[in-house]
Formats: sequence, structure tokens, C-alpha cells
Amino acid sequence: MSTTPRVSSAIAGEPAHFGSVLAHQPAIAESFFALYGRFWGSDVLAARIKEVARMRNARVTECGFCRNVRFDKAVAQGLGEEVLDDITDGYETSGMLTDTEKAVLRFTDALIHDPELLTGDAKAALQRHLTPAQIAELGLGVTLFLALAKALITMGLEPEVMDRTVLPTPAVLEAAE
Amino acid sequence: MSAVCAALAADPVLASHYADFRGKTQAALNPALVALVRQAVATVHGIDSAPIDESTLDEGTRLCLAYARRMPFEHTAISDAEAAAVALHLGEAGFVAFSVLAALADAECRAELVDLPGLVGG
Repeated sequence: MSTTPRVSSAIAGEPAHFGSVLAHQPAIAESFFALYGRFWGSDVLAARIKEVARMRNARVTECGFCRNVRFDKAVAQGLGEEVLDDITDGYETSGMLTDTEKAVLRFTDALIHDPELLTGDAKAALQRHLTPAQIAELGLGVTLFLALAKALITMGLEPEVMDRTVLPTPAVLEAAE
Repeated sequence: MSAVCAALAADPVLASHYADFRGKTQAALNPALVALVRQAVATVHGIDSAPIDESTLDEGTRLCLAYARRMPFEHTAISDAEAAAVALHLGEAGFVAFSVLAALADAECRAELVDLPGLVGG
């Protein structure tokens, strides 16, 4: 896995990172950030649940950038490091994660790793804990997390070192509405 | 329609944003290449069994397809040289769109394999 950017920044004076590289394709960038802001801005599914799925994806795909970013909305909803530490193999026995979060993690693992993991019990648990609208939003999120992580990795945008960084949760820019 | 779009049917705003992102990504590349990349990735996932006849394709397109086939299970093993070859063929902006397309194609196949629309529909 390369930590040397395979694409240059399209923004003068900025290093290569996802935003500056995506700027080579302004229409894609604008559309992605509008979608991502809308997704995170929706409260159909709590930000904490979305972040649990995002962190699992980060760890399975080995996306170092994703792994070290925290979104502030989820932190404010109580998703601290002691909970995140349990989003690893063996999360089923965690005392920190809720049953809803464990169902979400099983779904996330099935989508990003092996669809066979979504057994009848796992599917029933997901549908017991989440409404159809929440499952749809979760499915969109995991799809985007996975695609974003793999695009980052294959474009060589992984940081060599990175501290844990709390960022503002993506939001829809009012000017874009 | 992708599994993600189908699952979002009850949320027209998010569905519209997702369709726009998907469409803009595809519009940045040659439509024939887009179709081939999607087919190549789907085949790796066992979704689309139709083989791609590569005998009529140019070397650059074959490189792109070989690269796309690594996205589902070998994304961390793609080398700088492989990426450079695809970037040389597509140009830097094209390589960015291609990277998003291939990654999104992989994720959409996975959403289909877990039957995301069925989960939403109950």
C-alpha cells in the first residue's frame, strides 16, 4: 500500500489529499460533497451509528486516514475512544457497544467483506433494530465509506503518520442548496 | 438501477444526490470503458458471468480492466507501477474518475450481494 500520492493536487499550494485530488474532476467533487453532506446531515440514522459503520470499514479496508478521523457529531453523541476500541474483531462480546450497533457492524462486515455473514439471524437483528429508512441510509453510507476508502488507498493518499483528528461533520453548504 | 438507488427509493432527495454522483463519475469517462469496468468488477464478484472479449481492446483498456479487477479483493496490493500505467493511459483527471468509478462499482456489487433493496423492503 502506497503512501506516495499517485495523483497530484489540482489546487495550487495544497498537498495531495482527497479534496485537492478530486478537484481534477470538479463536477464529481461538487456532487460527492453535496451527497456526503446530505447523508451526514440527515438524522434518519444517528451520526453515532453511521460513525460506528465508518470506523469498522476503516479498519477492515486498512484506510489509515479514515481510521484516524473522528466526526464531531458522533463524538457529541457519546462515541468515545473506549467504544471505538471495541470496533474490532470480537465486537460481538463488547459491553460498550449496543445491540443496535452490533447489528449494524454485522451488516457492515457482510457488505464490505463477505455477504455470507448476513445470516438469517443477522438480517433479522438488523431489521428489528432499524427501520427500512434507516437501513437504506446505512446501506448508502457503507457503500460510500467503502468506495471512498478504496479510492483513497489506490490513489496513494494514505498518510504516513496521522494523529487522531476530530473534524466537523460533513454538512450541506447552504450556497449549494 | 443499482442496488443502492433501489434501496433509496423512499428518500427521493438522497436518491437524487446519489444518482447525480454516480452519473457525474460515469460521465467523466468513455461510456464503453465505464461499461467494461462495471462488467469486469461484477464478474469478479460472480454477478455477471458474461466474459469480456479483450481481443479487440487496446492495450490501455486492457490495463484498466486488469486494474479494476483488483479493486474488490486486492486494492491494497495495487502497485505504484500499475497505477502509473493506468494514469498514463487515462491522464491524471481520468485516473481520478476511474479510481472513483472502480471503487464505487465494487461497493455497488457488494450492496447487491447483501440484497440491500430486499433488506429495506422487509
